[in-house]
Amino acid sequence: MSSVEFSTRPVSDQPLRGDFGWRFAAGVAGAGLLTLMLAYAVVALLLRGTALWGTNIPFVWGFDLINYIWWIGIANAASLFAVVLVLRRHGLRTSVNRFAEAAALAAVAAAAIYPILHLGRPWLFYWTVPYPATFEVWPNFRSTLVWDFWGIMSHVVVTGLFWYTGLIPDLATMRDRAVAKGRMVQAQIYGLLALGWRGSVRHWARHQAAYRLVAALVLPMLVSAQTIVALEFATTLVPEWHQARLPLHVVATGIPSGLGVVLALAALLRGGLGLTRYIDDEDMHLLGKLTAAAALLCGYVYAEALLVALLEDATTRQAMAARAFGAYAALYWGGAALVVGLPQLLWFRRARIKARWAVPIGLGAAAGVWLDRFSLVAGGLVRDHLPSTAPLYAPTMPEWTLLLGSVGLFALLMLAFARFVPVVSMFEMRHEESEADVP
Amino acid sequence: MTSAVIAEFDSQDALVAALRAARDAGWRRMDAYAPYPVPEAAKLLGATGARVAWIAIGAGLFGAVLAYATQYWLSVHNYPLNVGGRPLHALPAFLPATTIVAILWAAAGALIGMLALNRLPRLNHPVFAAPGFGRASEDRFFLCLFAGDPGLDAREALYLLRRQKPLSLAELPA
Repeated sequence: MSSVEFSTRPVSDQPLRGDFGWRFAAGVAGAGLLTLMLAYAVVALLLRGTALWGTNIPFVWGFDLINYIWWIGIANAASLFAVVLVLRRHGLRTSVNRFAEAAALAAVAAAAIYPILHLGRPWLFYWTVPYPATFEVWPNFRSTLVWDFWGIMSHVVVTGLFWYTGLIPDLATMRDRAVAKGRMVQAQIYGLLALGWRGSVRHWARHQAAYRLVAALVLPMLVSAQTIVALEFATTLVPEWHQARLPLHVVATGIPSGLGVVLALAALLRGGLGLTRYIDDEDMHLLGKLTAAAALLCGYVYAEALLVALLEDATTRQAMAARAFGAYAALYWGGAALVVGLPQLLWFRRARIKARWAVPIGLGAAAGVWLDRFSLVAGGLVRDHLPSTAPLYAPTMPEWTLLLGSVGLFALLMLAFARFVPVVSMFEMRHEESEADVP
Repeated sequence: MTSAVIAEFDSQDALVAALRAARDAGWRRMDAYAPYPVPEAAKLLGATGARVAWIAIGAGLFGAVLAYATQYWLSVHNYPLNVGGRPLHALPAFLPATTIVAILWAAAGALIGMLALNRLPRLNHPVFAAPGFGRASEDRFFLCLFAGDPGLDAREALYLLRRQKPLSLAELPA
């Protein structure tokens, strides 16, 4: 029997609810306040310049780069999880890719702010675009900054298109549900966004082909985008950064941060929206175990870094020692403990299922990766071999505001996502249920 | 004047059976609507995603050539910039942007090409007038036969679809 006995109405009814309760309103208020702080920090930076920041020689890179690689790591891992689910054809659990992809999109948006602000004169960011300027000057294509421009832009466009394409059939469902409930304004908005999707079997065939094709294309894009970020470090002559292993380190440690955020979101969404049946225990087990396994992999990456440093030339060895045992040692080891150690709790059943465990562990892993990025950027620039050690880098209030603000922007985008669109892919859900019935 | 007949089913199997019967009876101008992909029905209608893949490959190659050629021409001919005597034509430095831009074009080509092949956006369509079609995006399956081919008119369609025991049957004006 393959008729649809399974109903996705609890999912589609969520965005059509009139009232989301005081918790949601409080969340929006908090996230909105932080986003306003972000706007304030950006305006202050535009008016006063980077003197507001704690960056100085030798610490030429600070919070902007730390937060940039942190956010891009979250985006990449969330995207990676989403596309792997889509590519596992006929497998279950495809439907949870929706909010993983949304988290990726929000994280890319948060990440994209930083390289622009980092430029010093952010209003001239369009100089990285090869456009026919009147002074006939072109960007230097051998510069990592230009690679990064293409990397971020492609990431935003491809992730956005991928997410929206998966959403079109569900927007059509939202349109029809809104009509059935007599909510004509919503029906018109969803209808416009659904582009007139009518579920033709011919359309489905092309839709699925395009969707899976793009999922397959996103994989190499993620690896290259994250690698480009790491290469920005590796192509400099800073000893701790100028290593071939850096892209591996950045890609590998990015994964638990993104999976941790997706895990926390999954726990919050299923509890907060009452979707335990749609984001079920199996999904939580899959996510939790993946996060724990990725953390274990990071353990190898950390061990390799220390081991290989022993075999390196004296300069690199000193730089590594300065990072792991110098002024920023606490960040290095704290990061390692949170990235590698904390997610190991997810091997316990209870920790994966219960939101009060899964949320702190997931966010803890993300925080650990943030410490790792801080250690990489600031710890890599430590000059302790100079007779007089330069003052250390410490972020200033405007920098903290910028970080908190970007967290607020991410939260606000995720709340808007949970409010306005179905958080799990309804058509994938129906598809999975129909296939599950076939003997 | 009636130019199409649409039948509503409550299962994928009933839809595929009706589709097969209609195809065997010689119907070619027809379409099926489902709340999720039904590869079996797509096969009966002769629909594949192959053209999407070709568009993606073409767009990706175009993007790669465009990105590499732009970097080469600008760096070597139009605005050569001597940075520490490094070669102007720098293959390793040109590759990251080339790869990424190729992926950008291929992905955008696949998704926009898919919409173009599907003739979307098209906000209005005759099938939307079918009673209960709102549930085609939820839990109902529809088969629509468009009259027009010689010997295949609305009466034939009604006769054929009624034998498939649909939940409902409606005639649509074009």
